[in-house]
Amino acid sequence: MADKHECDNGCKIVSIPQVATIEEIKDEIVDVKTFYLNIDDAGVREKFRIRSGQFIMCTVFGAGEFAVSLPPSPENDRFHISVRQVGKVTRALHALQVGDKVGIRGPFGNGFPFEDIKGKNVVYVAGGIGLIPLRSSIVHVLQNRKDFGRIILIYGARSPKDLMYQYNIDEWLKIDGFETYITIDSPAPGWTGETGFVHNLIPKANVPVDNTVAFVCGPPVMFNSVINVLMEQGLSDDCIISTLERHMKCGIGKCQHCAIGRTLVCTDGPVYTYRQIKTLGEQI
Amino acid sequence: MNYKPGICTFCGNGCGHFLRITDGGVGGVFASRNHPVSQGRLCVRGWNIHELLSTNRRILEPMVRRNGTLEKVSTDEALSLSMERLMKYAGESPDLVAVLASPRASNEETYLLMKLARTVLKTNNIGVDSDSGHRSSMDVLHAGTGFPGMLGSVKGITKTEFILVFDIDITKQNPILGSEIHRARRGGATLVTVDSRETQIARLSDTFVRTKPGSNKVILGALAKILIDENLVDSAFIQRHTAGFEGFANLLGSLSYDDIAAKTGVGLDDLRDIARKLAGAKSAMAFYPTGVSGLDSDMIGYLFNLFLLAGKIGCENSGINPVTGLNNLQGAFDMGAAPDLLTGFQPLGDSKAAAKFGDVWGVNPPAKAGKAPYAILDDPAGKLKAIVVMDHDEGIVRYAEKLKSVDFIVYIGAFENPFTEFAHVVLPVASYIETDGTYTNTERRIQLSRKKTEPASGVLPGWKLFSAMAGKGGAKWDYSSAEDVMKEISKLTPIYSKVNYAKLEKSFGIQWPCDEANPDGTESFSLGSVNRALNFVTLRGSYDVPAASKEYPWQLMVGKAQHYWHQNNLMKITKIPLREYNATLLMYTQGFIEISVADAKSLQVRDKWPVKVTSAQGTMNVSVKVSEEVGDGTAYVPYFVQDMITKFLLVHDEALKYGEDATIPVRIEKV
Amino acid sequence: MYLIKKSEVLNIARELAKDHLVYGPVTDEATGQVLFDSLDDPGKADLGAPIPTIPPKNVVFPQMECIYSYRYDKNSRAVDIRQVNAVKPKALFGLRSCDLEGMRILDRFFLGQEFVDDFYLNNRKKTFIVTNTCIAPFAQCFCVCTDSGPSAKEGFDLNLTELGDEYLVEAGSDRGKALAEKLGLAKADGSYAAKKTAAVDRAMDLFTGFAVENKAWVSRVTNRVTTGFIKEDVWEYIGDQCFECGACTFVCPSCSCFNIEDVNKNDGSTERLRSWDSCSYEGYSKMAGDHNPRKPVEDRRNKRFFCKLSYSQSKKYLRPGCVGCGRCAWVCPGDIGLPNVVTYIRRETTK
Repeated sequence: MADKHECDNGCKIVSIPQVATIEEIKDEIVDVKTFYLNIDDAGVREKFRIRSGQFIMCTVFGAGEFAVSLPPSPENDRFHISVRQVGKVTRALHALQVGDKVGIRGPFGNGFPFEDIKGKNVVYVAGGIGLIPLRSSIVHVLQNRKDFGRIILIYGARSPKDLMYQYNIDEWLKIDGFETYITIDSPAPGWTGETGFVHNLIPKANVPVDNTVAFVCGPPVMFNSVINVLMEQGLSDDCIISTLERHMKCGIGKCQHCAIGRTLVCTDGPVYTYRQIKTLGEQI
Repeated sequence: MNYKPGICTFCGNGCGHFLRITDGGVGGVFASRNHPVSQGRLCVRGWNIHELLSTNRRILEPMVRRNGTLEKVSTDEALSLSMERLMKYAGESPDLVAVLASPRASNEETYLLMKLARTVLKTNNIGVDSDSGHRSSMDVLHAGTGFPGMLGSVKGITKTEFILVFDIDITKQNPILGSEIHRARRGGATLVTVDSRETQIARLSDTFVRTKPGSNKVILGALAKILIDENLVDSAFIQRHTAGFEGFANLLGSLSYDDIAAKTGVGLDDLRDIARKLAGAKSAMAFYPTGVSGLDSDMIGYLFNLFLLAGKIGCENSGINPVTGLNNLQGAFDMGAAPDLLTGFQPLGDSKAAAKFGDVWGVNPPAKAGKAPYAILDDPAGKLKAIVVMDHDEGIVRYAEKLKSVDFIVYIGAFENPFTEFAHVVLPVASYIETDGTYTNTERRIQLSRKKTEPASGVLPGWKLFSAMAGKGGAKWDYSSAEDVMKEISKLTPIYSKVNYAKLEKSFGIQWPCDEANPDGTESFSLGSVNRALNFVTLRGSYDVPAASKEYPWQLMVGKAQHYWHQNNLMKITKIPLREYNATLLMYTQGFIEISVADAKSLQVRDKWPVKVTSAQGTMNVSVKVSEEVGDGTAYVPYFVQDMITKFLLVHDEALKYGEDATIPVRIEKV
Repeated sequence: MYLIKKSEVLNIARELAKDHLVYGPVTDEATGQVLFDSLDDPGKADLGAPIPTIPPKNVVFPQMECIYSYRYDKNSRAVDIRQVNAVKPKALFGLRSCDLEGMRILDRFFLGQEFVDDFYLNNRKKTFIVTNTCIAPFAQCFCVCTDSGPSAKEGFDLNLTELGDEYLVEAGSDRGKALAEKLGLAKADGSYAAKKTAAVDRAMDLFTGFAVENKAWVSRVTNRVTTGFIKEDVWEYIGDQCFECGACTFVCPSCSCFNIEDVNKNDGSTERLRSWDSCSYEGYSKMAGDHNPRKPVEDRRNKRFFCKLSYSQSKKYLRPGCVGCGRCAWVCPGDIGLPNVVTYIRRETTK
């Protein structure tokens, strides 16, 4: 059987995983770790290219395979994944050490728009670990700061210790014109920032409407209230972009586990505009 | 050809299937259209049985516990050690040893295990795992009719006019039986479901009455009383064919119409309607649960007497039908895996029967009746030194503490099982597709399952394993096949007397009694076949129901959820059925308690919010599952789920004995 | 076009058996059930048998299959991934046209979308297909409603049509033609085309029941399923009767959902197993964590019928997703095989 990593399918690793080494593990928040990975085969590694918003299928040897979004920017960023332990396979990943091997297939999925949104204001609204998939686009946009209008991050989590990528946020703040609004659900000792739910911060951030795209990612309840507020503010549903998570087994449009109505999240998505999401014909 | 016909061995339905056998083992399963029970249907378990049969989570080598850990040893060593120790304790006193047979093992295996207990260990301490409900059922049916098994048959379901599904989530537990009932309903039968929860079959019924948990007996008593009071009983039938009517009628005198609605949550008019439909139908069947969470004997007695009043016992397409949850629960009893029974429900105390066994065995069964292993473990004064356990589900885990004081435990099984933690010796046995064997389903259908794959090297089929054990115990058994064992069973067992492999091979099984008068078996119990009156069963006349108190205003029901019955170990070895088993739990990772929409509102909780559940004996914290399936003031927990729930329930052992009708008064608070 | 005597038609299977694993319709002696199974003896193939209960899907898309295995040494951290070796060429002999269409749906789905499924391709490539025209429909058949019979139009290597005591043999590919030539089959003259048409027309006239009454309704219902104009209580009525067994998916010639699990073997290796899955299962769409987007059973039923009867899905398959074989009606413990679902929606629409 031909192994498809030979770049005949857009440099994707389609069927048989490529082995990668865990070079570093960073504890993020409770139950979330970041794994810096390096594909062992130099030839494959060189040709391996991602777009922000895409995902890979990651094999934890002896446990199974799971789909995971890609937080690194496609340009000048260390390749990594940030994973919350929720099931058997992700628990097995968390048990691995630096130097251990994992398998990688992908990258798969359509990815976030980049060229199309140049010249626009970009608003990122994230809840909890919803920041993980958005990180790729944020870094990419910041790396090309001059091509965009206002860049705003509105981010909320349950408590200060549930905020992802705080060290990144500190770095991003150094970039001129990057606006950040951070909130936690309820007051906590030592927290002097905003409290309350993310959607309440949107009016406060004075979010622009014209020539603006919003990226929204977070748990279903947060997602729905954020969408409502953005639409109230006057943002059109095709300017609201999100990425969907689904149970996936193959990543290449065959197993059908990720079907929502007429769409397959793995190949048609995972990135959709809210206009598309509304017409999928099923609960998201 | 890769596909080989066989039978599914998950539940008591005994559906037909084909297994895809290749060099690599079992690679698939397909439904059998011509099979009379399943007719092309299988359930989620059956459609994924190849995952179980191809698993590598098997017990493949004998093991002996040394210094706390199980070590691999030779078969000979394991067998020698097992029998040496067992014989030593049995020699001290037969009361010190017991044998727990499996409701999953084949008839031949269970028969030999029973023979091993009685002729080699010389004890009558033998029982079946998860036995209570079915034994009660057999006792009631035997007392009433002399026919200790399902009175009707699957074939009769689509021919009967009235079907009562009593307190069983049948489309989840024995789905294909549920399917047949649904088919009957579509064909015009009147379907009535009585349950405390709105199950799928309830939604598919003409009439569904939601009862307060714990009020089953009152419901059945009320229906009987209505039949008598409204003169709806089949008087001619009662006069000609039954005995004991007066006693039952008198007993019902103490049941007052006044508080039936309050006690049961069901209006009298609804009950009258059901009683009239039952009486008005030409034929009628009832289905009720058996096994570990079955009804108790009193309730089964009420159900039996109710049908006797209506003249619906012993006539065509009629009768009350216990539904066995496990594939060979009926067969295990048929094989005499009970302290007071020989095969085919022949009493151990019947000296003629015992002598017959003595003749064939060369050793008489011990005269003194034994006790079932659970009864010994239940008894605080019970002294047990050694026990042999075959292929169990998790019922015995309830006795975890007690088992620690048992000196010597032998576990025999084909698949990995957490029970090996307790065992001193573990003996592998061939799985059901690695040997020949027969299984008796819920409708008494004895079916032959042929060997399809070779067991791993060194692993013995049950009939060989037990023969070897008997050999080490000083007996000489010389069976050369499972078929040989069936020859002996049929010689000793009147209801199996004309059963043989050749006949089974050519058919889709034979329903017992299969004897001189019925060489092709018996579809249903019929009046014509007995020379006796049908007895109204003697019952208790108390009609108390658990009442809500101010302190504990909720009635907590305990039962099965989803597709699974018991804490089924086999399910845990599969992939897709395991996922389905976990589907609800993944939504409620802390376990759940189901309450009604109105109750959720009054508690001010939403779906998945945590609550504290308190009973007189303990507390647990679980998530709320808001559901339309339970009524106000009642709550439901599936008993197999989280450790937390299991622990909470364990202290309510008394309540658990009443199985599906058990309730625990609790208080629920928002946390 | 060629001709072969009825008494010699199995010679085609025998010839194929020389260098193929041959599968065909065969009756199991113990149960009397017709299966589409591997033939130890090609002479056992029964071209007159009713549609096999087991569709040939299993041959190209096994119910359970190890797609590759690996071994990870935790100490040396060495990974050894082993791909499955090439399989022996297969021949499917006596395939009915509905089942051929089912396989063509699988082909388009697994091979014709953005990605090629290598594992399916590995099973499917080099498969030699001999179809068998239905000269009379069987009780449950409604291929006339789904454009998939009674005779195969394309996609076969050889197609057989029973005409009295001989079979007309049509070659649909070069290798089909080569086989016919190798067997030295007599050429059929031009009149046989008309004879075959007459036989197929006669078969069409023999359809009864659902196939006749609902011919137009299958496409009308497809329209409604696509646009979503079906009342929720119809789906509820259907959902209440779903026993969540998965049978409809497993017997369907065109259903292709699968699950993947890693199974650790005793020798320290791990097999990545893929096996048939069903959208009727509650756990099918659940995600790790606590979100199940498609929880109510009626939603899941809705999903399946969307796959079988919607234009959006037809775009992927280049034909309707249902091939009219009727097997789902055989195996359903409820009463919601596809023909009945069409009937329920029709009833609701015309009420």
